[in-house]
Amino acid sequence: MEYLSTHKISIIDLVTSKVMDQELDEDLVKEKIGGAGITTALYEEYQGEDPIVLGTGLLTGTLAPASALGMITAKSPLTGKVCHSPLTLYAGLELKYSGFDYVVIKGKSQKPVYLWIHDGVADVNDAKDVWGKDVWSSTDTIRDLMGDQLIQVLTIGKAGESESDFAQVCINYWASGDRWGFGKLFGQKKLKLVALRGMSLLEVSDAEGFVKQCKELLSTLKAGAFVDKKGIEEIPAIIGEENIQKWLGPIVHRHVSCFNTPFPTNTFVFLDEDPKLLKETEKKEPGFLITDIHGLLGFKKLGLSAADACALLRDCAKYGIDPVAVAELNQKAGKNKPDEIKKSFSGLKGSLESIGKGKFSPWCPHFGLSANEWEKKQAVAYIFGIHPIFALLSPELSEEKLIELANLGTGLGFTSETLDKVIADITK
Amino acid sequence: MACELACGYHRDDGFALLSACIMVTRGREKRDYSAVVLKEAENLVIARAEGLEIRRIGAVEEGGADQSKGDASAKPLLLREPCDLCSDREEGPLCLQFCPVNAISMN
Repeated sequence: MEYLSTHKISIIDLVTSKVMDQELDEDLVKEKIGGAGITTALYEEYQGEDPIVLGTGLLTGTLAPASALGMITAKSPLTGKVCHSPLTLYAGLELKYSGFDYVVIKGKSQKPVYLWIHDGVADVNDAKDVWGKDVWSSTDTIRDLMGDQLIQVLTIGKAGESESDFAQVCINYWASGDRWGFGKLFGQKKLKLVALRGMSLLEVSDAEGFVKQCKELLSTLKAGAFVDKKGIEEIPAIIGEENIQKWLGPIVHRHVSCFNTPFPTNTFVFLDEDPKLLKETEKKEPGFLITDIHGLLGFKKLGLSAADACALLRDCAKYGIDPVAVAELNQKAGKNKPDEIKKSFSGLKGSLESIGKGKFSPWCPHFGLSANEWEKKQAVAYIFGIHPIFALLSPELSEEKLIELANLGTGLGFTSETLDKVIADITK
Repeated sequence: MACELACGYHRDDGFALLSACIMVTRGREKRDYSAVVLKEAENLVIARAEGLEIRRIGAVEEGGADQSKGDASAKPLLLREPCDLCSDREEGPLCLQFCPVNAISMN
């Protein structure tokens, strides 16, 4: 695969710690396009070894608007189905530039390990320096060890190590869209974390045409409905939930976009610092980046203050547990005090009503779409590598526009029929 | 970062973060602190929330090595070409046009 790609797939066997590089076959791309189309094919190829597949969309890490998305594809311990979890912030970008479009992690290790994937090399390393640490300490340790603060870290905390049903694979310090218990899968494989960083070059078939098209599309998007909207607190009103701006607003410090995404879907709150401060704080851990609206709303529904809710989100992220599960199961148990909720992390059990019914993480709200429409639009986002929330909020990012970009970028001549077939394959 | 990719495209006709002369630092992530660093011919221009700072390349940083530790990055900015403001493009610098959140402007 020559364009918009680093050409390679890494196959990592945790049983033997052996790593094999495989070329990304252009015929596979012609048939499956990319993203969830190919991660699903790779999952099926290695399904006898219970694989976890990391992948990027065809347009991930390019100038295509909102091309932030990477993904984890694996069988969910919660649902028993092969599902996809989003990798947002800069994780999808760094995976693409690490030198591998896809990474297959198969088998189980005998001892705790971590993967260091960078510059076309994938290493399986002893995790003795990070096993037993929480999510925040693990990310700090690995970044200090490698001397690079920009490494993106997919890591589990104590929830994953103890194989909790609701363990989450976190991104750096923050909650992710892993609502499938993939953190438990990491724990079962004795896989503590995956560190990603890279300096690859992506070549483009018709570079000038691709960049021109990206620029036009971005201009259209920036003139659209999001001009005056910012942050995660805008989302509840859009999805028909209670407006939380007055509740959360006083502690908001700033909003944060995922890579190349025009609408910042994340919000940073200051819990131990003045939210009005503009210069850099002296405090090492002043607050928390909210990346999951359902977790935040779950704690609000327990009657907590915004500060208490966000502090609990921070505790969940450090422990590496899904905050939505924590909120829902504590609500069912009638618990609504921060201390007792925090104590519930260890040994949390129960069945969830908010569990995803389809293949894509319910982390992304439905925005009034029917289940089938939502699933189809998520499939498109996960194939091309477009931020799942932004994809739903932006009709300008149509299937036709994305196919056009894919063709300018790769010269492979994708059609709407190809896309429809891939969507049907991965949503069946 | 989209601005870095756009700058890299201006240099390489492909997408690469390393060849850009602009860099968004995302160090000290728990403080949610970031800045845009631009390489000019003889200076590094650092734009961040509290203002603009221009440092002469090669000058010793005030505060010593510890202060810069938090910005440690594998990207060797000093090896990059200086910014030419995309002088061969009629529409001006690509980084401005591709910043998704309009964070970059030019006087």
